[in-house]
Amino acid sequence: MKFVKAILSILVVAGLVFVLNRSWGPVPALGSFLSPFTGFWQNGENPVPDNSQVSLKVDGLTDEVIVRFDDTGVPHIFAKNDYDLFFAQGYITAKDRLWQMELQVRAASGRLSEILGPATLPLDQKSRRLGMGYGAEANLKLGMSDKRSKTALTGYSAGVNAYIDQLAPKDLPVEYKLLGYRPEVWKPINTMYMLEQMTLMLAGRSNDLSISNVLKKYGQEVVNQLFPDYPMLQESPIIPAGTKWNFPTLPIPVKNPLSSSDSPVAQIFNSKYSLANNQVLAPAEPKPEGIGSNNWAVGAEKSITGYPILANDPHLELTIPSIWYQVQLHTPEMNVYGVSLPGIPSVIIGFNQNVAWGVTNVDADVFDLYKIKFKDSTHAQYWHENQWKATRKREELIYVKGKTEPVKENVFYTHHGPVSDTDQPDGDVPNLAIKWIGHEPGNSFLTFYELNKAKNYDDYRKALTYYVGPAQNFIFADNGKNIAITVNGKLPLKYKDQGKFLLDGTDPMDDWQGWIPAEQNPFVKNPTRGFVSSANQSSTDPTYPYYINWLFAPSERGIRINERLTAMTKANADSLRMLQNDNFSVMARTILPKLLSVLRASALSPTQKAAEITLSGWNYQNNPESIPAAIFETWMPLLQESIWNDEFNSDSVVMRYPSRDRTMYMILNQPNEKWFDNVKTPQKETMPDVVLNSFKASLDSLQKWHGKMSPEWQWSNVKGTEIRHLSRSLKPFNAPLLKTGGGAGIVNAITKRNGPSWRMVVELGPAPKAYGIYPGGQSGNPGSPYYMNLLKKWENGELNELIFLSSPDQQHSRMTSSGITFKKN
Amino acid sequence: MNILLIIIVTAIFQYFGPWWTVVLAPFLILLWRPATTSFRSFATGFLAIALLWLAYGLYLHVRSEGAMSNRIAEIFSLPNGILLLAVTSLVGGLLGGFAALSGYFTKKAF
Repeated sequence: MKFVKAILSILVVAGLVFVLNRSWGPVPALGSFLSPFTGFWQNGENPVPDNSQVSLKVDGLTDEVIVRFDDTGVPHIFAKNDYDLFFAQGYITAKDRLWQMELQVRAASGRLSEILGPATLPLDQKSRRLGMGYGAEANLKLGMSDKRSKTALTGYSAGVNAYIDQLAPKDLPVEYKLLGYRPEVWKPINTMYMLEQMTLMLAGRSNDLSISNVLKKYGQEVVNQLFPDYPMLQESPIIPAGTKWNFPTLPIPVKNPLSSSDSPVAQIFNSKYSLANNQVLAPAEPKPEGIGSNNWAVGAEKSITGYPILANDPHLELTIPSIWYQVQLHTPEMNVYGVSLPGIPSVIIGFNQNVAWGVTNVDADVFDLYKIKFKDSTHAQYWHENQWKATRKREELIYVKGKTEPVKENVFYTHHGPVSDTDQPDGDVPNLAIKWIGHEPGNSFLTFYELNKAKNYDDYRKALTYYVGPAQNFIFADNGKNIAITVNGKLPLKYKDQGKFLLDGTDPMDDWQGWIPAEQNPFVKNPTRGFVSSANQSSTDPTYPYYINWLFAPSERGIRINERLTAMTKANADSLRMLQNDNFSVMARTILPKLLSVLRASALSPTQKAAEITLSGWNYQNNPESIPAAIFETWMPLLQESIWNDEFNSDSVVMRYPSRDRTMYMILNQPNEKWFDNVKTPQKETMPDVVLNSFKASLDSLQKWHGKMSPEWQWSNVKGTEIRHLSRSLKPFNAPLLKTGGGAGIVNAITKRNGPSWRMVVELGPAPKAYGIYPGGQSGNPGSPYYMNLLKKWENGELNELIFLSSPDQQHSRMTSSGITFKKN
Repeated sequence: MNILLIIIVTAIFQYFGPWWTVVLAPFLILLWRPATTSFRSFATGFLAIALLWLAYGLYLHVRSEGAMSNRIAEIFSLPNGILLLAVTSLVGGLLGGFAALSGYFTKKAF
């Protein structure tokens, strides 16, 4: 009996330890998770910043590196050479953002399922089928062949790994503790995956399929009418209209005259066999409006300082931790401040002693789909240029948590790219090849590296030549009082509208025909209007000789920015900050008077009349408290839907809707178009019917969600901007609900989930003065005082002064005494 | 006395070793210096570990003003970090209690 008791009690202890030592479904291994010695308790940080000076001895450094922190947690790194600099950047970035860096690389490389299980398998399959790894490997080869990028990549990796190596289990970021895994060794290719991920986010989709479906259903004439190649109503292109193109143009490619105009792919190859499992990409989500950006620079003659002032606010999905990480990087050859992307060495958007630069996305057509004709079901050969050519097979192994055998994917590559999409409504056999800029080998990192060091306009232009993609509008200003903007990236040489529709993978005349010469990419330096700007709208007016795309982001932000900059004189940093926070709705100014005239001619209920009166008195400002802004913003999508849904919404095929510009043009100028009629009802609807019905529907919708018209209807409340933790599922790590104005198509482009992920204003001059903010904080640790310390200021539209030190021992009231000194071992 | 011993030894073990070292000291110390009854043995181990985890957890919670613990509590659908601290102490206590009990019974068996 004594023995039984002893053994039983020991078994109870062993059982407890066993149960608490492993994870159960989403519940982490509770033993180590709850123990205050190892668990999440360790991740809560003292809100009073520790003013500690740490000295670290590390292997691999060639000299001493000094890191100082300011009162917002920004590291200021002082090194003697590039390798040491990027080593320290890697180490410090990992210290604040390790989990984010690793997760983003896992997302890009299709390895999420290793840690998250079968739920993320479709995401991983998408990354593999898109050829993210194929692109990253090609880029790494080039990156490692140039001394500058090799130094940066290896130094950064060594720094991240030095941080990982000294991590005790108790120091792991809390997300690792929750999910029960450990960080991996950081490799140089991870940086390439991060760049691929940016390319995917900004230039990783096309309309080819959805517009080809429209072509199939309605024919070429309707496509020409409803999907024009330049906005019909209003546009204010990035390169000022009328700019002369003073270069000898390359011969413009032409479309094969023998290919039929109705169906872009004459011989449709119907796959009658089926592979083992569904191998095609899920239909691509259209890029949400709100992913875009603004930038502008005013020249010396418009500024009160006598030097240019530059502003940039890239709009991305807003997450916590932020996609950006502020840093100052200093060596004897360089001194730069700005935001970096965790995982990528150098500063991406920023300024130095002599220059400042920023970026917005170019909506270039660099993602095309080619219809492939395979010889047989082995996919070993495809038809091109009147012969059978061999495909290359790339085997992708996706390991899934909880499964011993990896999921195997065979992706077949033609010279176009991986064959992994389909135009068959319910096809599971891929028959479309993806030709994508993300597969084009390049060393875009060098552009940022050289911009970090740039001293003048010529350095800027030279730095841009290294860039491949995703194409960006690089804005620039320098102390020589130059301002400039370049639509920059490797842009394919195409015939007009090549890639607007599906392309014929068998016809070499449908291949990309080379590249637009880099020096002929649209650009402008010191234009007479005294400013340069971009907001993702059309790169140029229609006189530019080459085809870049048929559709760009809507023009309203660009129009507003250009109007205000035209009127601006004696600008300072605060004038540009106010413009970043501009809530004026060009859309409302354009269309609302017409819509209100329709309402006034109609019979309205008292509630509808009250809403109409509210709208009539509106100043078109999408302010957070505005009720008319909420009504208008709810109404517009419903109005568009009620015009187009009956013709363009289909369960079986995806069809693109005509643009907002085209829709407004029709309401204003073509009120008798047949498209206003709802073909699904027996009676004939007219433009006023559609306007009135959608107006009523929008009020019903607002009442349903927010009750009778009251302050509950204010725009910030209806919009409900939320910034989620990167995991998207750990709600307690989210930011609290925010009160914001602006919206899609507004300069202050804050939507529900997207918006200005970084706002920066730089006054050039002998001593540059810069200001910036992003929603969040430097630390990715929810238990850190630097997790959301910048959020409130961002919400209020304020900026922090950015502390730009000229030497490691410079005094500044906002520098803390905490720091890290790296010493070589 | 045993309680104090367990707390000190466990704190050292846990600082340097993995979480499961939490069961070693209660077992060994009760094996070495058994309490008068099985209930007292269990209580000794329970109190020692529960107190240790409670005190250290409370320190970390207060120092960070609950920045992490309150959020984790929410993930586990608990109202606040203090309740999570109670759960933590209970789990630690059970581990310590059963480990101490095993030490006591093992001693009795020989």
